[in-house]
Amino acid sequence: MTTVALMGNPNTGKTTLFNQLTDSYAYVGNWTGVTVEKKMGSIKHTKIVVVDLPGIYSLNPITKDESVAINYLLENDTDIILNVTNANQLKRNLLLSIELLEFGKPVIIALNMIDDLKRTGVYYDIQTLEKRLGCIVKTTNARNHDGIEQLRDKLKNSPVDEFPTANLKLDYPKEIKKELNLATTKLVKNYQVSEKFATWLTIQFMNKNKIVRQFASHNNFKPLLEKADLFDKEKFEEKIFQTRLNFIEETLTSARENVSSSSNIQMTSKIDKVVTNPILGLPIFVAIFYLMFKLSFDWIGTPLSDQLNAFLSGPISNYSNTFLKSIGAMPFLRSLIVDGIIAGVGGVLTFIPQIMVLFACISILEDSGYMARAALVTDRVMQAIGLNGKAFIPLIIGFGCNVTGIMAARTIEQPKERLITTLISPFMSCSARLPIYSLFVAAFFPKNQALIVLSIYFLGIIVALAMAKFYQLIFHVKENTVFIVELPQYHLPRFDIIWRGTWDKSKGFVRKAGTIIFAGTVLIWLLSNFGPSGFVTNIDKSFSAMLGQFLLPLFVPIGITSWEAISALFTGILAKEVISSSMMVLFHTTSQTTLIATFGQLFTPISAYALLVFILLYVPCFATIGTIKSETGSTKWAVYSVFSSILIAYALSFVIFQVGSLFM
Amino acid sequence: MSLLTNLIIASVIIGFAGYEIYKVAQKSKKGKCAACDYKCEAKMMAERAKRQNG
Repeated sequence: MTTVALMGNPNTGKTTLFNQLTDSYAYVGNWTGVTVEKKMGSIKHTKIVVVDLPGIYSLNPITKDESVAINYLLENDTDIILNVTNANQLKRNLLLSIELLEFGKPVIIALNMIDDLKRTGVYYDIQTLEKRLGCIVKTTNARNHDGIEQLRDKLKNSPVDEFPTANLKLDYPKEIKKELNLATTKLVKNYQVSEKFATWLTIQFMNKNKIVRQFASHNNFKPLLEKADLFDKEKFEEKIFQTRLNFIEETLTSARENVSSSSNIQMTSKIDKVVTNPILGLPIFVAIFYLMFKLSFDWIGTPLSDQLNAFLSGPISNYSNTFLKSIGAMPFLRSLIVDGIIAGVGGVLTFIPQIMVLFACISILEDSGYMARAALVTDRVMQAIGLNGKAFIPLIIGFGCNVTGIMAARTIEQPKERLITTLISPFMSCSARLPIYSLFVAAFFPKNQALIVLSIYFLGIIVALAMAKFYQLIFHVKENTVFIVELPQYHLPRFDIIWRGTWDKSKGFVRKAGTIIFAGTVLIWLLSNFGPSGFVTNIDKSFSAMLGQFLLPLFVPIGITSWEAISALFTGILAKEVISSSMMVLFHTTSQTTLIATFGQLFTPISAYALLVFILLYVPCFATIGTIKSETGSTKWAVYSVFSSILIAYALSFVIFQVGSLFM
Repeated sequence: MSLLTNLIIASVIIGFAGYEIYKVAQKSKKGKCAACDYKCEAKMMAERAKRQNG
């Protein structure tokens, strides 16, 4: 078996290349920090395994996810390193390439996004690059599959021993060379390591690589450990960096060729002048989100959803009921299937059009390159309250699912900032909450659906930011890290990438319908059909009514006067979609129209809004609680997250309902 | 359909639901990627690779 390690800077298209090389699909985004754990895949009909590692700027890890890559090199015997670079940013990308070339394994450098480079009016002579770097260099354009076939053929058809082993020896300053020789000789002689590995290890050690220094201590490499102070005192790290930079500049100058015009770069900078404008940037960001909700709630999503619902509550429910009757199913089984599963699970599935439209919009924003700008624009707001714009990326990912949002927080270097981002992530409105928003906005704000949903989303952001500021003061976070985000050039979103992104995210929703939403629906059916006396025909005597009515006095001050809503909130802890399916079951209806009419009698617009705010902020779902626990490594923070969010949700919906009631 | 068949079908549905809730609780304890509700390509490939190597 041959192992190919895919390594490169963040946002160079590694994951896209990985998907194409392995005929598989892993989540792709046009921004930093998408790959946080390594992914593996094999090239079809071969024994070649490709490992996609998180993007790194150097082998010296700064963040938790960056250490995955260096640890992989130290712990695994990789056969070939496929270094993916952004051809447009070669000067910075080659800094990592040098470290990989020094590692001594065969290296292939893929100059990805080569079309973007050509559009800037520059091109590199590949032969010159190959000669200077001493490895194979291929050009690719993963987005439209250019060069992928050649790269795959190269990997498939050449045996590993035919690949030239990288043999890059930079002309480091004399004092470094002297120490390098000394240490390498001793390591080879006394510790039985290969000369190449010893050289690489020494350079990395001189370069203050934390993981390598731990590795050296662990193996008690005295020739290195004894010299650590000298290396640091003599500032070897800076000298190594300068030598590498000079080498890169010389290499690029000798390989550079000028080609045609630079229309794309001009277009990108023209668009950026507007969308990242200090004054216009934020309103544009809000407007884009508004447009997204308009599309999913008013223009495309809801009309489709209504048709699906009419089909489900009409023909499907009636036919199922008649069929079950005809085969002799008893009333309780019919109720379980029709009022429980079809109403609950089916009811949630009818929201698929809205969810898909929203996911498609998010995918378009990611693929076009706008998301990185959104992070930049929000960075200004975040800076104003003393936060880092980098925290915005996990937060925006949290719009899809809080679990992935929290995982993405690993890209934040500072442990305290990472903890803060983890704690505020659940306040971001994940897509699972959409069905319940959709039901309530259709009932109470039919003309302003998009606007109300937008306000809920932004309220989530505001609460998240306010809490972040609060935690910052409590944890005494003083140092402010600099936020660097790479702004990719804009490109027209590709249909297949958008479709795959949308499908990948929506698939999760459909799967959940068959598992946890199904389970939650059956649970609420049981609770609403059984009471202390056994099977009940009157729902008011059921367990769910008892639970809801017991807690009702607590919820009246926030405008909730129906015990059904309270019981539904409980099942929402399993997964937020279950709130909607529980409502369907508890109100005994398969039709959204009937449910909406029932809501009209139980809520006022202001109490409905207060409930939506409560749903936005109260307890994270099971999966999110579990992730908070595993990412912070403490049960304490998970429990804290549950209780603090209930408190915040209650306080805010209380204020909204009480103040709102004064005016309405 | 006899009472027994009715009861069996209902029990299967409820049993499956109970199992799903149990599974979610177990997965949530693991956190991270494992808590994700669907098996994406990457996860399946990682599992396959684990089986092959282990």
